[in-house]
Amino acid sequence: MVQKKMVAMILAGGRGSRLYDLTKKIAKPAVNFGGKYRIIDFALSNCANSNISTVGILVQYESVLLNSYVARDYLWGLNMAGGGVYVLPPREKDKEGFDIYEGTANAIAQNIDFLDQTDADYVLVLSGDHIYKMDYEDMLREHIETGAAATIAVIQVPMKEASRFGIMNCDENDNIIEFEEKPANPKSDLASMGIYIFDYKLMRKYLVADTKDKNSSHDFGKDIIPDYLRDGKLLHAYRFKGYWKDVGTIDSLWEANMDLLDHKDLLDLFDNEWKIYSEDPMTAPQVIGETADINEAYITTGCRVDGKVNHSVVFTGSRVEKGAVVSDTVLMNNVVVGEGAELERCLVMNDVKIPANAHFGDKNGDKILLVTPEMAEGK
Amino acid sequence: MKALGILNFEPYSINVRGIEDYRPISAASFLGRYRVLDFMISNFTNSGIDNLKVFIKNRPRSTVEHVHSTNYNINAKRGKIHLLHGEKTYANQIYNTDLAAFKANMSFIKEVNADLIVIAPSHFVYVQDFNEIIKEHVKSGNDVTMLYHAVNNANTSYLLCDTLAINDEGRVTGITQNTGKYKHRNLSLECYVMDRKLFMDLVDKGLKASSIYWLRDILNDLLGDLKVGTYAHKGYVACMNTLSSYLKAQLSLIDETALDSLIRKDWTIYTMTNDSCPTLYEKGAKAVCSIVGNGCDIAGSLDHTVIGRGVKIGKGSSIKNTVILPGARIGENVTIENAVVDRFANVTVDSVLIGELDSPLYIARGDKI
Repeated sequence: MVQKKMVAMILAGGRGSRLYDLTKKIAKPAVNFGGKYRIIDFALSNCANSNISTVGILVQYESVLLNSYVARDYLWGLNMAGGGVYVLPPREKDKEGFDIYEGTANAIAQNIDFLDQTDADYVLVLSGDHIYKMDYEDMLREHIETGAAATIAVIQVPMKEASRFGIMNCDENDNIIEFEEKPANPKSDLASMGIYIFDYKLMRKYLVADTKDKNSSHDFGKDIIPDYLRDGKLLHAYRFKGYWKDVGTIDSLWEANMDLLDHKDLLDLFDNEWKIYSEDPMTAPQVIGETADINEAYITTGCRVDGKVNHSVVFTGSRVEKGAVVSDTVLMNNVVVGEGAELERCLVMNDVKIPANAHFGDKNGDKILLVTPEMAEGK
Repeated sequence: MKALGILNFEPYSINVRGIEDYRPISAASFLGRYRVLDFMISNFTNSGIDNLKVFIKNRPRSTVEHVHSTNYNINAKRGKIHLLHGEKTYANQIYNTDLAAFKANMSFIKEVNADLIVIAPSHFVYVQDFNEIIKEHVKSGNDVTMLYHAVNNANTSYLLCDTLAINDEGRVTGITQNTGKYKHRNLSLECYVMDRKLFMDLVDKGLKASSIYWLRDILNDLLGDLKVGTYAHKGYVACMNTLSSYLKAQLSLIDETALDSLIRKDWTIYTMTNDSCPTLYEKGAKAVCSIVGNGCDIAGSLDHTVIGRGVKIGKGSSIKNTVILPGARIGENVTIENAVVDRFANVTVDSVLIGELDSPLYIARGDKI
């Protein structure tokens, strides 16, 4: 059953500057992923599969493509009566003038009028740049059962990596007693996934107060959550088990793509009960030619393979010509790898044409090479 | 000139063994991703004909579901794809003709604001800009313009399809069924352009002449009275009139030149979105000369094979010269050659299934082997 008591707000305004050229002209949530998807398809499909019907998308940085993409709400079945996808950029308001989104909390605060209209009891705050499959309805159930003022989804991370995350220190009932952003000496291995459910009425009060606070950075993790804790509000940690990845860097984006091959049991996109929806580019099906040699690969429609593809992910409309070798590499949309070219541990941007016999990447390199159109032209 | 499109149903002369038990051939899977009729419907919508009557002879479920779920790129407010079928139940299928179905639905054809009717078949796959035929039709002053393709393999293919005798002025002087006696024939692509008034007139005349007449029959009778011109088609053509031709047509498109002439950048073929993930080739999988739909999990080897969406091929299995329809499951160490495997069939471990290209093996929908 579709429920209207919880509205999702997806934070999709960040630049994602550690993705370099990939996010020069498009916002990170619109970056292509996993053959045929865009990163934001995961959050949107999770919403649809969790029976959420109203989704607000908070956009800011280079959002032309992202806006037009998410506006096609029917792609995720989010076009039901009373619901829909609402693109929410910063806007000029009567008496308040125009203001950009100053932080995650501020982005939501500037849309309090929108949330008021939806009549929602609960607000689900999500990031538009995470790869995972999650049932938000189950999280809401736990949120209601525990009677928490806010619930934060957490995932267990290896202790040695815990200092890279926002860490939740909890009591025996998984209620949060302390939040530490990237602690040098972490006391717990429960990392915040940046997924929150708030009781809207209370959240509204905190957001209004936070907006007036000149010393605040207007961030959920840095300001709102500490405010709740300081006031003794019940904050509950919802333990998520499964695959989750923040694809903020070239290496992690490459790795998440490779996880489709290496950890297909964890990130199962074949599951018909929890499909990840996306646009269908209406291209021809993939064609595997006579000279093709494919070993461990994830390949989608519109591709043509005549060369060797080894442990790689090939996105829509890409082509690997005869004699070319593509290993441990991600080819994004409409890439052409010319005859005899060799790619090793690369992430190749959309529309790049790799000239014949060119070599990119290093088998033993510790970093993944982002191949841009300029680099390919230079060869 | 405003045109109304009619997608006709398949003639009685076709016999696609097995496949037709579950759906008309027009609704059968094609190239792993499409249905046969997607090509003709996309021809209509790409030609700017956004009012289309799709006729269904029997077993409507598959066609209804597919056509209603596909966005063929027309303005949904301005255009319409209307699914129609004969209203009568026929004790004998011989009476289930296109003319009878047109007659039963004439009110829907009358209500459309259009001067011309473009009729196209649903068991052929080809690309054609109908505006080109319309232009020729208007220029020549023809009563009817028919699309044809000069083929050189009529002795081995297109059995019982219509062929045209064409005189030096490009006029049709006879419509006969291909008996396979000659190599070179002018194959009718069963596409007709005519004035709407003439169309209505032909339907009435045809039904008056005989209860088992089809449009091509009454047209053939009236070739002396009407100016029936022709337009030559160029490019890829396939007719799904037998199980073998259904298999061979898809295998022939593994060739890059053939595929590029059918699926062009400037002539999108629209189909239903299924939201399958990309296809996974497991460690040890082997694939050459194949067309593969999305959502497949391939651990075995493919050679000259067309695989539909969501098919699983187990380790050690070898598939050759075969079409596998969406959702089929092939277990481990299975050998399949020269076959058509229908949807959701389940071929378990160690089976060996070998047919012939001219008489392919057919594994029925949902069968367990």
